[in-house]
Amino acid sequence: MNKIVVEGLKYKYPLSETLALDNISFSVKEGEFIGIIGRNSAGKSTLCQAIVGLVPHFYKGAYGGKVLVDGLEVKTHSIADISLKAGMVFQNPFTQVTGSKMTVYEEIAFGLENIGVPRTEMINRIDEVLHLFKIEHVKDHNPFDLSGGQMQRMAIASIIAMKPEIILLDEPTSQLDPGGSEEVFQAVQSLKNQGITILMAEHKMEKVAQYCDKVLLLESGKVVDYDTPEVVFSRNDLDVFGVTAPVYTKVCQALGVKKKGADTYPVTLKEAEAALKEMRR
Amino acid sequence: MKSISLYVNRNSFVHDVDPITKLIYIAFAILVPIIVPSFTISFICVGISLVLLAFAKVLRKTVPVFSFVFLVLITVVIIQGLFKPENETVLFQLGPITMYQEGLLFALTITLRVLTIVSAFMILVLTTKPSELVESLVRKGMSPSIGYMIVSVFQIIPEMMAAVSTITDAQRARGMETEGSFFVRFKAFLPLMGPVVLGALINTKERAMALEVRGFNSQVQKTYLYEEKTYAYSRLIRALLLLAIAGALVWRILS
Amino acid sequence: MKKQSMWSLRLSTASLVLIPVAVGVNYIGKLLAGLLKLPLWLDSIGTVLAAMLGGPIVGALAGAINNIIYGLTADPISFVYAITSVAIGLVTGILFYRGYISSWGKALGAGIIIGLVATVVSTPLNIGFWGGQTGNVWGDALFAAVLANTDSTWLASLLDEVVVDVPDKLLVVLISYGIFMGLPKNIVQLYNQNDKVETLD
Repeated sequence: MNKIVVEGLKYKYPLSETLALDNISFSVKEGEFIGIIGRNSAGKSTLCQAIVGLVPHFYKGAYGGKVLVDGLEVKTHSIADISLKAGMVFQNPFTQVTGSKMTVYEEIAFGLENIGVPRTEMINRIDEVLHLFKIEHVKDHNPFDLSGGQMQRMAIASIIAMKPEIILLDEPTSQLDPGGSEEVFQAVQSLKNQGITILMAEHKMEKVAQYCDKVLLLESGKVVDYDTPEVVFSRNDLDVFGVTAPVYTKVCQALGVKKKGADTYPVTLKEAEAALKEMRR
Repeated sequence: MKSISLYVNRNSFVHDVDPITKLIYIAFAILVPIIVPSFTISFICVGISLVLLAFAKVLRKTVPVFSFVFLVLITVVIIQGLFKPENETVLFQLGPITMYQEGLLFALTITLRVLTIVSAFMILVLTTKPSELVESLVRKGMSPSIGYMIVSVFQIIPEMMAAVSTITDAQRARGMETEGSFFVRFKAFLPLMGPVVLGALINTKERAMALEVRGFNSQVQKTYLYEEKTYAYSRLIRALLLLAIAGALVWRILS
Repeated sequence: MKKQSMWSLRLSTASLVLIPVAVGVNYIGKLLAGLLKLPLWLDSIGTVLAAMLGGPIVGALAGAINNIIYGLTADPISFVYAITSVAIGLVTGILFYRGYISSWGKALGAGIIIGLVATVVSTPLNIGFWGGQTGNVWGDALFAAVLANTDSTWLASLLDEVVVDVPDKLLVVLISYGIFMGLPKNIVQLYNQNDKVETLD
């Protein structure tokens, strides 16, 4: 079943002359993990925001085409309505803190209070996500006193507590140090294990290759390719779109080692290892 | 993180009184001396507030606020005592300086007025968490948006102050002069202020989006993480305070 | 693109987030003015910016909340002066939306107008609560001098407030205008939430 359907989506920011999204169409099945890649300002953030309704409701501007999120048409529903279906985590862990709560525990409760979750249920959900994202030990700390990695996991926890069926992650580790990034990617891994439909805009291609079922390659607001990581990363014109394939793919490409019985190159360490062993035999 | 709130966490019966009752107390302490204008009543109101502050074990914390207020009040006493246009009756002379009774009495009125307000508010401010005050007002029907704005200031200011001190250190390290003539000091103001303000304004975009995706504008009836606290004797205290205000009004009308 | 009425009471989330930041800007303005020992308050830059970005209602709200916060954190008498802050926000918003703060020269004039409005609103409050003084050393010295030589508390109080408020608001408006000019256009646009979504279908 299709969780997200995007048809001919066009969008132009106010005061802008050019289309930020230009005739985008694709669909995502329930439980799929989609990686959104492309150079800066290719439209990755705008696309994420179009799925949760920030485009067009937050920015206004000019809008065309259709986005269906679990059957809801984004254009005709409020961001609050859509937030029950799809949640979003932003780049900067710091600016996502609401600023109106004094502890991590209360911070996670913010969204639940807004959507009217009853108290006992609220407490259960908060305890659950604190545990899931390993931030139980800081639950009474001030949100601003957390490390970047902890803050970003709190942001993910705050969204997951609202039990959306879809989550969008917009370069969730771009402003974190390597340690913090790893913490967040582990959190992303546990999201994947939950069977939630995930869309992640990301620059770290090794991570995209490792997690994603499919990759959406954007350039100037248009879809260039939408396929499995192996197919997309095996393209030989990636640098035209400001994308570098995972290091494993590049090594295998240089050695001319393809996946067994396929016309694509390995994209993860495991696949590369298997392919190289195969070759040695 | 350094808090800007003056709230002091202590165990006392004053702390246990709910915020709304404290607001009614403020109304009582300010209105009664206005309705019944006499020094005695004003003194009594200030006295009650001070006793309550003492019971709340926060009397020492009032010192910075009172000393700020007294600094201004001293100049009021001096200026009014010397120069009030209605001054006639000489009270005492110190060399070329003459103090007048009218001016000093007027200064006393001002002083008592300021002290009643300040001491009554101190009870609320020192013994109530700002977030609890706002939450009880929101439960009473204040818009949650207003509530959000007030509470978030308490988080945003320490953040911005931290940013200012980072930038101040950086600019000083680069040799910016922060002392000297007025123009030297004023010129330092802009490079210290500008980056923090621009950064904070630019951040509002992502924060607003983050609030939106967390159902901030949801039309659903809001729920609360914490149960509404029930306070003992709240009703009784509120009734007594309102009765006192009404009593003062009746006295004023009859006499 | 037609601007909708500046009196729209429906606050966008962006404006709502702007207001606490405006209060923070006021706060650090005052902090820095104190740190640099400037004989000015410079504590309304945020209110003025909020009014320029979001209109008179947002400016007025920023002013009101500013003084509530001051009342709760520093000096309870500040609650009373919320009226002045609200007036500053309203007047700035109106002047800006009518195009009277669109160049450095105009900002200069607007600063003086805003300073005078603040003076007119504050003076009765000063008289009621402090016998006419402002608490600023230079202003109060003038207050004493005028009081000693005339028999009008009102005149003394008005002059006390004028000499402090007008230069202060003048600089505040100029600084705010400078910051406003430095803001990215897409941020300025964010608070101007009156446009409808156009269709590309």
